[in-house]
Amino acid sequence: MSENPFKIIRPTDQPPENLRKEVMGSVKLLMLLMRFMQLFMADYAMTLFENVRLTGKRDTRPSAAPPAPGSSTKDTPSS
Amino acid sequence: MLFRKKAKPDSHQSDEELVADLQRSMDADRFGILYDRYCAKVYQKCVGMTRDRDLAHDLTHDIFLKAFVNLSKFDHRSKFGTWVYSITYNYCLDHLRKTQRQRTDDLDEDAHGEVEHPEDRYEAELLSMRSEMLDEVLSKLEAGDRALLLMKYQDDLSVKEIMEVLGLGESAVKMRVLRARERAFELYQQLQPEGS
Repeated sequence: MSENPFKIIRPTDQPPENLRKEVMGSVKLLMLLMRFMQLFMADYAMTLFENVRLTGKRDTRPSAAPPAPGSSTKDTPSS
Repeated sequence: MLFRKKAKPDSHQSDEELVADLQRSMDADRFGILYDRYCAKVYQKCVGMTRDRDLAHDLTHDIFLKAFVNLSKFDHRSKFGTWVYSITYNYCLDHLRKTQRQRTDDLDEDAHGEVEHPEDRYEAELLSMRSEMLDEVLSKLEAGDRALLLMKYQDDLSVKEIMEVLGLGESAVKMRVLRARERAFELYQQLQPEGS
């Protein structure tokens, strides 16, 4: 009985040497991105922004919406 | 902790054990072991399907990234190898279909009822072709048909395994294999020199 021709034409090429480096490099980059995503998902970023806002703010009274940039207020010295 | 030291992976671990570890925590070294086990098979499959080594290089890279990103979706119901093959076949097919116009008669083939032809029709003809002729026939065949014939006759996948890879039912798989054989045989007859 003759051999299955599909088996005869099966490719035997080996993957190029640099392919491993490329794949593992991309995998490590992806892992890094995933770590950063985890960091943000865990709400560390929001905690950080919250602290920045609190330390920068002296007045603890509830305030209205901040004035639009360019609009005049009472404290603004008139020229 | 972000940068804790991890235990060295054991290269004697089974695929499934490595994947289970990777699902618990991402680790490039463990993924590297899986890469080493499957890169040649995936690359050769890509070469077989695309017949282009440069393209196979790019596709292999993308397939391993896709596998890495989707590792959490591997549910351990099938073998890891079958799962990787499934990604390989489907990714190659998607790519080839983007570059080749899909034959429209594939669309309504699932609407057919029972397989009306014997299941082994044209099989003997296909398996008795000269390898050079078969190679030529496969190169001219539509990507989906080529993939199916390679799965069945080169990789010896069972109908059940092809069902898993393609996400199709049994009758749809049998019908597609039959149609692929028919088209291959038609091409073979066209390529045959007159009088032989």
